[in-house]
Amino acid sequence: MVLEATMICIDNSEWMRNGDYAPSRFQAQADAVNLICGAKTQANPENTVGVLTMAGKGVQVLVTPTSDLGKILACMHGLEIGGEMNLAAAIQVAQLALKHRQNKKQQQRIIIFAGSPVKHEKKVLEMIGRKLKKNSVALDIINFGEEDDGKTEKLEALLAAVNNNDTSHNVHVPAGPTALSDVLISTPIFTGDGEGGSGFAAAAAAAAAGGVSGFEFGVDPNLDPELALALRVSMEEERARQEAAAKKAAEDAAKQEKGGDEQTSSQDATMTERTSAATSEADNKTNDMMDDENALLQQALAMSMDDPTINHDLRDTDMSETTAEDPDLALALKLSVTDKTKDSASQSDMSKLLADQSFVSSILASLPGVDPNDPSVKDLLASMQSQSEPQQKNEDKPPNEEEKK
Amino acid sequence: MSAESASAIHKSQVDLLDFIDWSGVECLNQSSSHPVPNSLKQGYREDDGLHLESDADEQLLLYVPFTQVVKLYSVVIKGPEDEGPKTVKLFSNKEHMGFSNVNDFPPSDVAVLSPDNLLGKPVILKYVKFQNVRSLIIFIEDNQQGSEITKVQKIVLYGTTVETTDMKGLKKIEDH
Repeated sequence: MVLEATMICIDNSEWMRNGDYAPSRFQAQADAVNLICGAKTQANPENTVGVLTMAGKGVQVLVTPTSDLGKILACMHGLEIGGEMNLAAAIQVAQLALKHRQNKKQQQRIIIFAGSPVKHEKKVLEMIGRKLKKNSVALDIINFGEEDDGKTEKLEALLAAVNNNDTSHNVHVPAGPTALSDVLISTPIFTGDGEGGSGFAAAAAAAAAGGVSGFEFGVDPNLDPELALALRVSMEEERARQEAAAKKAAEDAAKQEKGGDEQTSSQDATMTERTSAATSEADNKTNDMMDDENALLQQALAMSMDDPTINHDLRDTDMSETTAEDPDLALALKLSVTDKTKDSASQSDMSKLLADQSFVSSILASLPGVDPNDPSVKDLLASMQSQSEPQQKNEDKPPNEEEKK
Repeated sequence: MSAESASAIHKSQVDLLDFIDWSGVECLNQSSSHPVPNSLKQGYREDDGLHLESDADEQLLLYVPFTQVVKLYSVVIKGPEDEGPKTVKLFSNKEHMGFSNVNDFPPSDVAVLSPDNLLGKPVILKYVKFQNVRSLIIFIEDNQQGSEITKVQKIVLYGTTVETTDMKGLKKIEDH
């Protein structure tokens, strides 16, 4: 039962027209705002909620903090989308609105929906963050929509500057099939720091989903609140873990590709030769040394990426030592070369063939135990493709320039 | 004003502790682990181990409303030698003050605390400026060493009450 005055900053910039959150970013946001207002006013009868828009002609306060839910819901209708979000101004206006709250006993909180890019400098945001902290205002950030320009980093810096005793939260909601409000309902923004409001959140979740099957995790929170709580906590932890893992994997992949570049390009010539004469055993023997080294490299690469493609990589090294008479084996060999030729700047026919994504994925589909739709396989392919392209361009350029001369 | 005359007048002044409206007391930039009651409430403030501490930077802003109109005569602000407050600005009857508009009004009085003051020597205020005080803002601007954290062990307000109708007493008679 936290006694709180809340200002909700909604994003009505042009970016909110995007349809990546059903039915549109703006509508998804409106639903989430309605739900938050309901949760906040239910948590304590003296709680007040206000709403302001961050984009349009300028920051505009639609409702000053009020406990009248009808007022808040009414102001959400007929909002116009336009302009760009002005985060810094919005936070300061919200703070001013909170400062003049009627009931001084209320804690102050600002909730920001950030669906468009953040144009402000990190330093500016940190400065504002410290100001909020000094005035004991808590801040919740819902980071969704646009992901570029170090937006997440900036928002995290802002949050770090504000955060005091973990009263402020940052929730990142990627685009997906689940509704924005459904994701938010299990976050600390709704549940608060303690038990307050969780009952409402659970009930609202059930109502929103409409039906028995709609309960989160298929468990009625009213029947077994402890189980529901445990499930929700584990869900939150899992989400945090997944985000951390994704970040780490991306960093590792970037490192690996940098480090692997030199070695693979040096081996490249021999590798492509070998594929053109895949049946030649003699060739294979001469390449044995290289092969072992390469196999190790491939294995390391696969392991670091925690990738199911390790299956065919391992098979590839085996096969290169046998004679590849079997057409299937030949196909697999070709596939194994994909990895290497992608890294290289080779212009051979083979690499051109393999640069064709649809061809590669069809081969992948034919392999047992490899799912071409697996996100990690897709990531690997995409990263290889993107890496090979700039190199090929570089090779293309010099001859052109010579021609001009 | 000499020290002798100060102490002489002092005897007619009382501790205004009983007239503070506790539900309205507010403090900005206080550390949540070292909140304002540590320096203001009886019992807590006598314990030097319990102190009020600033959080984000060295400034503190206290809002102290009174249950009735008072005249403020002097204040005692105790703190550690190095992290104790230095410049203290007092505003009477100002509502809705924040760090952003603290420079918008001239303070009713400014006190620069000496090490003696921090050990418990009262600061005599401009008495004429505090004749009709319903609420008091105490703005601690910086501390002795200019460090990030300010600590305040004890705040005592001395003054007299102004004769006013006690509304609570009135109600009781109506009840009979």
